[in-house]
Amino acid sequence: MKTLACLLICSASVVAQNPLDPAAPEWKSAAPMVLALHRTPPLYPTDAPAPLEIPSVQTQVIHIPAGNFVRLEWADKTHDTTVLPKAERAWQGDDLVTQSAATDRFSDACAVMVPAKTITGDLNPSLQMGDPDHPVHIFVWDSTRGAAVMEATGRETTKRTGQSFPAQAQYAAGKWAVTLQIPDLRAGTPFAVAIWNGSQQDRDGRKYFTIWYRAQ
Amino acid sequence: MAQHQISMVLDLNKCLGCQTCTMACKKLWTDGDGMDYMYWNNVETRPGQGYPRNWDKIGGGFEDGKLRPSELPSKEDYGQTFEYNYAERLFQGGMQAMPQEEVRNTPNWDEDVGALMLGENYYFYLPRLCNHCTNPACLEACPRKAIYKRTEDGIVLVDQERCEGYRYCMKACPYKKIYFNELLGKAQKCIFCYPRIEKGEVNACAKQCPGRLRFVGFLDDPESAVHKLVHVHKIALGLFPEKGTEPNVFYVPPFNPPRTGSYGKSVLEDPRMPMDYLKYLFGDEVIDVIGRLEGELHHAQSGGTSEVLQLLIGRDDQVRYQIPKHEDLIQIQGAHKA
Repeated sequence: MKTLACLLICSASVVAQNPLDPAAPEWKSAAPMVLALHRTPPLYPTDAPAPLEIPSVQTQVIHIPAGNFVRLEWADKTHDTTVLPKAERAWQGDDLVTQSAATDRFSDACAVMVPAKTITGDLNPSLQMGDPDHPVHIFVWDSTRGAAVMEATGRETTKRTGQSFPAQAQYAAGKWAVTLQIPDLRAGTPFAVAIWNGSQQDRDGRKYFTIWYRAQ
Repeated sequence: MAQHQISMVLDLNKCLGCQTCTMACKKLWTDGDGMDYMYWNNVETRPGQGYPRNWDKIGGGFEDGKLRPSELPSKEDYGQTFEYNYAERLFQGGMQAMPQEEVRNTPNWDEDVGALMLGENYYFYLPRLCNHCTNPACLEACPRKAIYKRTEDGIVLVDQERCEGYRYCMKACPYKKIYFNELLGKAQKCIFCYPRIEKGEVNACAKQCPGRLRFVGFLDDPESAVHKLVHVHKIALGLFPEKGTEPNVFYVPPFNPPRTGSYGKSVLEDPRMPMDYLKYLFGDEVIDVIGRLEGELHHAQSGGTSEVLQLLIGRDDQVRYQIPKHEDLIQIQGAHKA
């Protein structure tokens, strides 16, 4: 178990700001921790191991009366995101409107995983999306599709809850900065981070991940 | 493991390339958001690049029992849609009817560009749909277990709730018959018209086919036309058997006459269509099938009655389709279990 230092901010004046804004000034005073990222192994024997293009993610956590916030910042040379057309009406008059744009592109994304039940002792859930005795909640932000809460009790069990959560993102100068408001991420709660790099065709278990950390 | 397997046999000698099946499918299933480029059923001219472009060359399926995923086809590989300048041509005159943009690829490119080989022309149409394989590579590849094969009829479906659009299935399918709906973030494919099948109705592509080339029924039903064509007469083969997925869509291979000047000879003796090309598509067994078809043809030409050719004529729906209603099928299954 690693312990992640974080800054506890309780100032009312800070609360008045918008901590969801990745450029908000209060993030400058929150202690940043650089977490090492690892690549998942190839899914198929024919897949070559993916290069470690993103070696780390800078992580900041703040707990304030308004909620628990995480800011993730990582360097990514490629800005892999798409503005999708609105899914409203395939037909306009007699014409079937062209809405499809690509079949082979993937989006940059990130996620924070936390235990769904209070953890007692030092034993964390399995890093592979929890286990039957230790379910997890996963707060996923996708640069194309936005934020979604998932739940899981192990690998291959991830399921959307149908809920979203507040998140904001900025991409500038080859870096992503994403802030997530995660109610479950109370002080002392273990969490793990995942990053997906769209240009490396990352999705699902093909990704970057950290080990468990704890915000205290 | 499916307890029953519904199947389709397509007689390639009867396909007109009219795309009525394609449009029947399109109008029924793929006219929704994000589905504009999808043809769950398509008809491609062979030899040719196919749809998506070079799907047969890029990989997929199994080798030595292990998945061999391919690269993902790009949007350009599926071809572009375009309009013609009909309004200008009709109302202003003085110009050719031309596409409004440069056309680089279409869903049946080889039909659009055409080519002539003087003297020995040959070609045929290959209608394609999901093969609802016995050993589906797509199902094997999906890390979310979003793809399942129904026990009652062997139809392979993508659970749209489970699917997260990871596209491992697209990479794994050797036939490239799974499509990505980018708008919805879901993989989508031919559903073998299961809502129709459950009512005892044949698939829309088969129902609308003017060439009457499709036969539909259960492979394990000894009375079905598909069973007879595949297992009794052994004249229908799956595409790319070496890919290891055991497809359940079968084809009666094209039977072209011999080359010019070889009238009266066996088609195998001086084939107009290179047998290597047919072996590439259907495996080595296609040579035996061509031999059987030729034998049946000679038998009929010499005044005999060929049960095979009579069946292939497929005069009416009762001959071509044997589809029990779903509730009857469930009862049959229950009886088998008891």
